[in-house]
Amino acid sequence: MAKPSGVRLADSGPALTEIEKPTRGRESGRLDRLGRFWDLVLHLAQRETSSRHRFTLLGWTWPLARQLAQLGVLVFTFSHIVKLEIPDFPAFVFSGLIAWSWFASSLVTATGSVVANRNLAFQSGFPLAVLPAVAVAVPLLDVFFALPVLAVLLATAGELHATFLFLPVILVVQLVLMTGIAWLFATAQVFLRDVQNFVTLLLLVLFYVTPVFYDRSSVPDEYQWVLLANPMTTLIEAYRSIFLDGSLPAAKPFAILALVSIGVAALGYAVFRRSEDGFVDEL
Amino acid sequence: MSSIELHEVWKSYPRWQAGHRTLRGLASRRFATIARRGERRWALRDVTVEIPPGESFGVIGQNGAGKSTLLRLTAGIGRPTRGKIQVPRSTASVLNLGDLFDPELTGEENARTIAMVSGLRKDRAKAVVPAAIAFAEVEDFADAPVRTYSDGMKLRLAFGVVAQLQPEVLLLDEVMAVGDLRFQAKCLERIRELRADGMTLLFASHDLDQIAAECKRAIWLQNGVVRSSGDADEVIASYREAMTTTTMELTPPPITDGDDSTLELRRNRFGSQEVTIDEVRMSGANAGAISELGVGEPLAVTLVLRGHAGPVRGAAVAVSIFRTSDGVVCCDSNTETDGVSLGQLESETTVTLRYDRLDLLPGHYMIEVGVYAPDWEYAYDLHTQAYDLHVIGRREAHGVYRPPHRWHVE
Repeated sequence: MAKPSGVRLADSGPALTEIEKPTRGRESGRLDRLGRFWDLVLHLAQRETSSRHRFTLLGWTWPLARQLAQLGVLVFTFSHIVKLEIPDFPAFVFSGLIAWSWFASSLVTATGSVVANRNLAFQSGFPLAVLPAVAVAVPLLDVFFALPVLAVLLATAGELHATFLFLPVILVVQLVLMTGIAWLFATAQVFLRDVQNFVTLLLLVLFYVTPVFYDRSSVPDEYQWVLLANPMTTLIEAYRSIFLDGSLPAAKPFAILALVSIGVAALGYAVFRRSEDGFVDEL
Repeated sequence: MSSIELHEVWKSYPRWQAGHRTLRGLASRRFATIARRGERRWALRDVTVEIPPGESFGVIGQNGAGKSTLLRLTAGIGRPTRGKIQVPRSTASVLNLGDLFDPELTGEENARTIAMVSGLRKDRAKAVVPAAIAFAEVEDFADAPVRTYSDGMKLRLAFGVVAQLQPEVLLLDEVMAVGDLRFQAKCLERIRELRADGMTLLFASHDLDQIAAECKRAIWLQNGVVRSSGDADEVIASYREAMTTTTMELTPPPITDGDDSTLELRRNRFGSQEVTIDEVRMSGANAGAISELGVGEPLAVTLVLRGHAGPVRGAAVAVSIFRTSDGVVCCDSNTETDGVSLGQLESETTVTLRYDRLDLLPGHYMIEVGVYAPDWEYAYDLHTQAYDLHVIGRREAHGVYRPPHRWHVE
């Protein structure tokens, strides 16, 4: 057995690696891999939700209850204490809040998803990229539970428009964007555990830099760019235009956002896949 | 054409320490860190293994020798620092499957997750679950949350799922060490069936007899280096011999101060003496010490152990009975094989082995007792040919022992 030349026991120089990667997954072909990825995301998301709610009395309604409580507080504060005077304020806040809650809760769990699922990371043939996607998919269910409530709020305000049907398109854009961010943050968290704290802090700040409970038009011109740089602003405004205004989202910003989302997702996936072989050593 | 091929595989891990990546750690240790940046811990060094399709291959070695690293890399978990690994697509492993259980979910739901994580698509996973539950013999608990399962049941369920897969290659790491003996036999039987269908097996274990029984070839890893490789029986023999040599080397010279003990170091007492057997007592049906007993009577062997070099975990005690005339091993029991933990050996520990009835034929026997370091690396204290046992009765048959029996003629 000839030793590779130049190998010292305490050598950290460039590795003379030539790896025939053990193929992950049993079935061949790109389509099969995609099918398996999808199977696993659905299965693990379902497993996660049913495990979480199984032995609670209110089960599925807890996430909705949390959103309603937050809605109640915001509506009370900004229509009775600080008067913002936005028409149909409950429906206005709730449409922003649904999108925001999904964004915030999935980002927090997705960041820690690889580290927290060490047991899955140590299974041979398991496509790790599933994990952040599951973290994004699970709170999407909460969105579906909140939609009927939103519909009622809109109906009472007399704002139920046919543009509601455009919702799946916006949801898909948000899903793509968040999965991309999830892959990036989950990767970073494996190598630097501070990322989780950073995300918590970021979300705290971002909640106020996103027009969830106020309208962007009330922001002074010199700060507009801060909001416009935030993709959640465009998303929430898109939701509001189909829910409240009965018009489709402004074409140009929305198209840019869709492209950016695809770019972020592609980048996130590439970064995740490039780094995942190193994950095991860091877990 | 090999099924599994590891070519000059090296694997190192960085030497992370707590606080290594905190700012304070970086500041206070900056220079030391730079100086030691190259320092890595090598788990595997230049390991080359080629396993033809359908062969069973064993991996032996002490804890930390690199067995688990080797299996993990072969399973595609992590990648080698240098070298090349080739395995077929269809490789299944029973590494850490037990970690997948969600305690709140039912056995059936968990089995499905294991099947899907092991690589089955949704429909196939659904289809194999009943068979997995039947194999694991947990049908009555299939709808109960897994938190109500015993460890043995969880292990059985995890293996039950793997038993339903039909992989080209199966990686086994010590799984058989847990669970009851009957189920272990069932798992081995299933593995033999799969092997008969042409499956390749890579099997790491402490249990040398199991490796000898299941594997044709084997490697012995020591500190990440292949110490020996080839025919399984030969590799195991050299491993055993090395353990004996280690024990010899660690045995201190005899003390010549007129000790009236019948034990003498390097004559009938060996081992490092980190833990000693201070007292060996044989008793029969009653508590009193005996040195002879009748055929079919009970025997209890009591050892009093004492630790001298700090607390020790993972030690094992073995008791064997030899026939004096020709040295035939009549019976041999040890705590590890029987799944008995000695806990932490620190001050004084009393271990008793009870034979409900000892059906040895009348004659002279010797009892050998030993306490061993984890993984049988070497003996702490081994008393050989030091205790006589005389079985009395009428000698009426040949052989070694005579179990209770009845004749029946029709």
